[in-house]
Amino acid sequence: MASAPPLYRIEGLTKTYGEGDTAVQALRGVNLDVPQSAMVVLLGPSGSGKSTFLNIVGGLDQATSGHVHFEDVELTGLNDHGLTEYRRHHIGFVFQFYNLVASLTARENVALITEIADEPMDPTDALALVGLENRIDHFPTQLSGGEQQRVAIARAVAKRPKVLLCDEPTGALDSQTGVRVLEALDQVNRELGTTTLLITHNAVIAEMADHVLRFADGQLADSRPNPNRRRPGDMTW
Amino acid sequence: MVVSLKPLDRKILRDLWRIRSQAFAISLVIAAGVGMVVMSLGMMRSLDATRDAYYDLYRFADIFAPAKRAPKSVLEEIKAIPGVSVVEGRINAGATLDIPGIAEPITTRIHSIPSGREPRINALVLRSGRWPDPKQPDEVLASEKFAEAARIGLGDNIDALLYGKRQHLRIVGTALSPEYIYAIGPGQIFPDNRRFGVLWMGEEHLAASLDLTDAFNEALVRVDRSADARDVTRKLDRLLARYGGVSAYPRSEQISDRFVTNELAQLKTMTGILPPIFLGVAAFLINTVLSRMIDAEHEVIGLLMAFGYRGQAIMLHYAKIAVALSVPGLLLGLALGSWLGRGLAAMYQNFFVFPFLNYRAGLDIYALASLATVAVVLLGVFQSVRRVQRMTPIEAMRPPLPPNYAGAAARLIGRMRALDEPTRIILRGILRRPIRSALGSLGVAAALGLYITSAGSHDNVARMIEILFDQSNRADVIVTFAEPRDQRAIFALQRAPGVWRVEPMRIVGAKLMGPRQSKSEGLTAATPGDDLNRLVDIDGTITGPPPRGVLISYGLSNELGLSIGDPLEVQVTEGRRGHFTLPVAAIIQSAVGSPAYVDATMIAAKMNEAPLLSGAYLGVDPARIDELYRYLKVTPAIAGVSLRAAARTGLDETIGETMGIVTMFNTGFSALIVFGVIYNNARISLAERSRDLASLRVLGYRRSEVSYILLGELAILTIIGLPFGIAFGYLLSRWLSSSLGGDLFIVPFGLTASTVAQAVLLVLFAATITALFVRRRLDRLNLVAVLKTWD
Repeated sequence: MASAPPLYRIEGLTKTYGEGDTAVQALRGVNLDVPQSAMVVLLGPSGSGKSTFLNIVGGLDQATSGHVHFEDVELTGLNDHGLTEYRRHHIGFVFQFYNLVASLTARENVALITEIADEPMDPTDALALVGLENRIDHFPTQLSGGEQQRVAIARAVAKRPKVLLCDEPTGALDSQTGVRVLEALDQVNRELGTTTLLITHNAVIAEMADHVLRFADGQLADSRPNPNRRRPGDMTW
Repeated sequence: MVVSLKPLDRKILRDLWRIRSQAFAISLVIAAGVGMVVMSLGMMRSLDATRDAYYDLYRFADIFAPAKRAPKSVLEEIKAIPGVSVVEGRINAGATLDIPGIAEPITTRIHSIPSGREPRINALVLRSGRWPDPKQPDEVLASEKFAEAARIGLGDNIDALLYGKRQHLRIVGTALSPEYIYAIGPGQIFPDNRRFGVLWMGEEHLAASLDLTDAFNEALVRVDRSADARDVTRKLDRLLARYGGVSAYPRSEQISDRFVTNELAQLKTMTGILPPIFLGVAAFLINTVLSRMIDAEHEVIGLLMAFGYRGQAIMLHYAKIAVALSVPGLLLGLALGSWLGRGLAAMYQNFFVFPFLNYRAGLDIYALASLATVAVVLLGVFQSVRRVQRMTPIEAMRPPLPPNYAGAAARLIGRMRALDEPTRIILRGILRRPIRSALGSLGVAAALGLYITSAGSHDNVARMIEILFDQSNRADVIVTFAEPRDQRAIFALQRAPGVWRVEPMRIVGAKLMGPRQSKSEGLTAATPGDDLNRLVDIDGTITGPPPRGVLISYGLSNELGLSIGDPLEVQVTEGRRGHFTLPVAAIIQSAVGSPAYVDATMIAAKMNEAPLLSGAYLGVDPARIDELYRYLKVTPAIAGVSLRAAARTGLDETIGETMGIVTMFNTGFSALIVFGVIYNNARISLAERSRDLASLRVLGYRRSEVSYILLGELAILTIIGLPFGIAFGYLLSRWLSSSLGGDLFIVPFGLTASTVAQAVLLVLFAATITALFVRRRLDRLNLVAVLKTWD
């Protein structure tokens, strides 16, 4: 997929839930390289395996077989402690429902992560990056859904992770707000060079990717570069 | 068998299975509350019923009328008093026994039994052997407990010193009497079966020994139910006056009955105060737990509403869950409470010496405990479900809005720069729901307070023993004389082996009269500077007898209706039978009995006699104590001997066997509640926080860091609860000890720091165990579910 050494090298990845007759094969042998600093969008219907894929790449779940190499580390060989450390140092997550801690202000939610990071940004700078410099002392209840998701993005990027994993980050938002959130992600990817994997149901969003992956039935059905990456502000749905 | 359940009922089973460990903790708390009520009430009622039945079946006397020597012909006159249904004359005597294998002389009370028939009043329960043969002068029955404790068997011979005469007696049977349910020697407050015993002897033979042939020295009377017992008593007094009658007294003043009544009243207080509090605390906890559980179910409730389920059906569904949750604990509590109640009653049967036990837990007790529990549980459900039902279905189904933390307190925490974010989460979480947090702490406080109160009973009794034996009664040996003696007796005792100090004991038999009522209660004469028997109040203050007037106990002042300065009317019932008044000089909270103290010299002058002795307090060199026992065993004038060391040991054992066990159960139940409360607090916090905590784990927080947030909250709520729990326990324990006061002894308040520390340690231990348990749960948080992606 790219000439420079990839950030992730994924080989023959499978995941099976359950056993015997009730076994469900969520992933059936995925092979893929993810280049450094790429903006990758994952598309596919429900049950196609994209979230399972993201969970394994994010160190939240164990593969049944196959290998995931992150730089020089083989994730599939790590135990729970190793996966925690991997998430702690390298991964930023953005969830569909934001998952902010309601009892902390925007700044404090970001500080929650910068406290445990090695070379974090200043929480205020991280919030400025997503355009929330005027909302730093607000609690989640005082923020709109889009604002909450941007806090979540600030929280995810404040530790300067190598990878940002976003699972339906705009799923709970209207299109106008969704665009603002995607702009924030786009900006982080361009300015900080953070490799970003973004799951969405919305095919339009694929227009902002460097690379589009399409999952179907537990397999990678299509993997294609997008030579005409667009700014989120130019997209509509 | 195929059981077809409605989906909602199936949900109940699955829900219960899901929360099984919490349900288990809830069951334990309910079982503790219900068990405590059933145990205590069951035991209480059984003892009450047993005593009444025993008195009735064995015809316990209503009135006791002692005299010096009354001819049997007087019995006919007594029978003629209106209201008297049965009368019987008998002979009583004090004696000391010399029993092989026991160093010290044994104090006994000997009662006559009619020749050839059973007593009409104060009938005996023959427990082994046979009745004495009227033709054999040496045959006696012994009280069963005494025979057991002193290891005397049927056919054994013992030597008695009876009014100066040495007699050989042979035990032919053992018996129980309603008169000795609580068998204590003179001056004692706890039974010591090894050193105090009762013998029953054929009337003719005892009469011969005491020179009372065809006479009696006590009339026992049973009255008709409709009779005025006071009136009968007055008439008896008048009739027996010329035969040396010393004021007849009703059953309620008989020593065994007084103690049994007092003990039962104390038990009643204990059972009246603690168990309802136990049940209340348990109910409160269940209520809290249920309402929080239902709050967490609001999406399901919203869904059911959206599907068109009616309000009633939804309510019924949760009511079923609540009832199903409480039933195991309820059943366990009923079973455990009945079992323990029966066991405790049997233990008291043994302590009080009842020949049988009428166990009466009663359906009403079961119904009461069950209804109270179910009502509280249902109320909790009703309130919570109503709260959710007031929302529209769509509101209810929505994931909960993040609670609004933008309050002043939250801002304040924001300004505390030193805090890290996890600590802010903890503190804001607590402050955001002050009532819920307060209830969590309150639960810990209530459980802790109950534990302190339960375990503190031990301290109160220990304090009582300390006042009794270290501060008040310091004589190694107390001897009582068969008849009052003059001062020469002191000199004789001073020469007895091993005796280094002798102080006179003088108790003047008297009837004390106040505006409210009169009471047969001896006047205790004391000398300033007495060291072996000191007047100690409940706080441990030592006082002496007033130079003029009388010092009375608080209990007596209440009974007689007297305040300081009022005149106390005294009718002496011995010697020259003087009649005079004494001003009440002081009132104290006496630890034991309801005594009236006077100065020995002053009272001798009032009675116009040289100071006499009813007995003496002896300080004895421990190395020569056996020598003294041998001396006392053969000294004719002595009617009773009591030994401090033995009394103390006996008391420790008795308390260990009775109150100690009750205390142990109470303490055990309260420990269960402590665990239940803390565990439930932790589990609910876990349920409410799991989403946040799992998010943090996904974001790279380590297990220890995530645990800190959850367990930090638990720790803070627990620690806040501690001082309140200590205060609650202190006050409750104090109240309980003050409520336990009777006229025989008062239970002082003696809660020690070590009991409080033990209780606090228990709470911390429970919190630690819970923390470890919850920590394991945290390790199993479902990280994937948090992303809300079901692909």
